[in-house]
Amino acid sequence: MSEKALKWTDRAVVVFAWSSAIILICALFLLIGSLLKNGWQTLGLDLIFGNAPPLDAILLKRRVFGGLFPAIAGTLLLVVLSVSLAVPIGVCAGVYMSEYASAGLRRILGLCFDILAGVPSIVVGLFGFSGAIILHRIFDGFRPCLAVSAASLAILVLPYLVRTTQTSMQGISPGLRITALALGASKMQNIVYVLLPRSMSGILSGIVLAIGRCAEDTAVIMLTGVVATAGVPGSLFGQYEALPFYIYYISSQYTDQAELMTGYGASIILLCVCLALFLIALGVRKGLSHQVFYRI
Amino acid sequence: MDNSIIKITDLHFSYNGLKVLKGVTHSFEKNTLTAITGPSGKGKSTFLTTLNRLWEDVPGAALQGCVELKIAEKWRDVYASSMDIAALRRMVGMVFQIPNPLPMSIFRNMAFPLKLAGVKEKDQVQAKVQEALERAFLWDEVKDRLHSSALELSGGQQQRLCIARALILEPMVLLFDEPTSSLDYQAAGMIEDLLVSLKESCTVLMVSHYLDQVSRIADSRLELADGKLLLSNISR
Ligand SMILES: Nc1ncnc2c1ncn2[C@@H]1O[C@H](COP(=O)(O)OP(=O)(O)OP(=O)(O)O)[C@@H](O)[C@H]1O
Ligand SMILES: [Mg+2]
Repeated sequence: MSEKALKWTDRAVVVFAWSSAIILICALFLLIGSLLKNGWQTLGLDLIFGNAPPLDAILLKRRVFGGLFPAIAGTLLLVVLSVSLAVPIGVCAGVYMSEYASAGLRRILGLCFDILAGVPSIVVGLFGFSGAIILHRIFDGFRPCLAVSAASLAILVLPYLVRTTQTSMQGISPGLRITALALGASKMQNIVYVLLPRSMSGILSGIVLAIGRCAEDTAVIMLTGVVATAGVPGSLFGQYEALPFYIYYISSQYTDQAELMTGYGASIILLCVCLALFLIALGVRKGLSHQVFYRI
Repeated sequence: MDNSIIKITDLHFSYNGLKVLKGVTHSFEKNTLTAITGPSGKGKSTFLTTLNRLWEDVPGAALQGCVELKIAEKWRDVYASSMDIAALRRMVGMVFQIPNPLPMSIFRNMAFPLKLAGVKEKDQVQAKVQEALERAFLWDEVKDRLHSSALELSGGQQQRLCIARALILEPMVLLFDEPTSSLDYQAAGMIEDLLVSLKESCTVLMVSHYLDQVSRIADSRLELADGKLLLSNISR
């Protein structure tokens, strides 16, 4: 290519990259803008707590009717439960994949996890539902509930956790890998004291992804125990409310404009909940820069 | 009297069929400093790792032959199934070309191998850390900042820290893989003095690319050529 043509392609690439980024940012602002425009009037303590006094509602002294509090509580509980179920299993599986599996096994298992990552969430929901039916046959009175949803969501996010753990561990330089071994560390000590701390920031990125997925998924929970009104879940085996389902429900069943508006309000709150969870996870990642993990 | 401490007989080594060592036979004497030289990519680093079994996690690597170490006046086969690998690596320490302190404080770096070995007593750890740092000529430079990050040290200081960290386990043999090639002239000079002083307590094997360095500090020189170790003279 001539020098001039090279210069022009160079420029075209830059322009293309810039415009792509701008389109993306515009789309984001449009989305958030339309949500805010439609939903901001509904925002307020009423939207969350209905007519119950906020403190009483938070302390569970008074049940909230006509407010989103039970749905927010349900979503938070769901995220915490499913992530704390998935993280230990996912990280251990990731460690196995990176450190113990033979090359062939790693390829086969990797394919399995990739397939699992590609399974539509409605299918995972159906799987959870069938599980609940089987459990119902064994334990009388068992029905789809918070525990079933959390377990199904855990399955949904497991592949992300496995893959992020595996890739960040495999990315560790050979030099660092043998540092502790040369000082007489066993394989286990090397993993616990050097390799895992080193991969912590990658693992936390996986956890952030998982949190987002658990908070937004509607298909799985629709089949496994979420309902429109249940109040704050009292036990793992009770039905519950969740924000994404509330949004879906309101926007498909609304009777008047005002009701639809609460759907927008709920979307804004869902975004805020996700943002808060992300910020916590990122704060953990930053505050505990990997040096903190090298405690021995 | 036989003064040797490492005995290697007919050692063959290959990576995925690529033959790197083709019948190395040699004995290393106690309290000597032996330099290993030779062209790049011919297996010098590999040879060092056959002594502490550090190659074993490499897929496709294979070893044949015999490596023996004289432990408490008895010859022990390094590759015997009864050999505890962690214990072996505590006896045969290794220092690499690029200094590899862990991202923690100087003190924690030093205490790390002791913790791995299960030494818990605080006073003992403290004393050993100081002693090892003194032997590596580093104590005076770091005694006031033991709890700051090891990554803040200069390259030469980091390398001396890594040597001190290997010394804290009181190894019988120390392997150095081009320990000065990432350092400037002055820092390298300090490491050279340190290596000579280590001969008192250990047997030192050092891979080096610098013949002038070899002539300054080594007792003997082995040239790795064509998969074999050949005794070569040192031009002084
Ligand atoms: N982990 C590995 N897997 C496969 N082959 C390897 C591996 N490490 C080294 N080799 C090969 O073995 C040969 C010897 O490598 P080695 O690192 O021992 O050479 P060297 O003499 O130390 O070289 P240099 O002076 O450049 O450090 C090289 O041809 C290299 O490609
Ligand atoms: Mg080398």
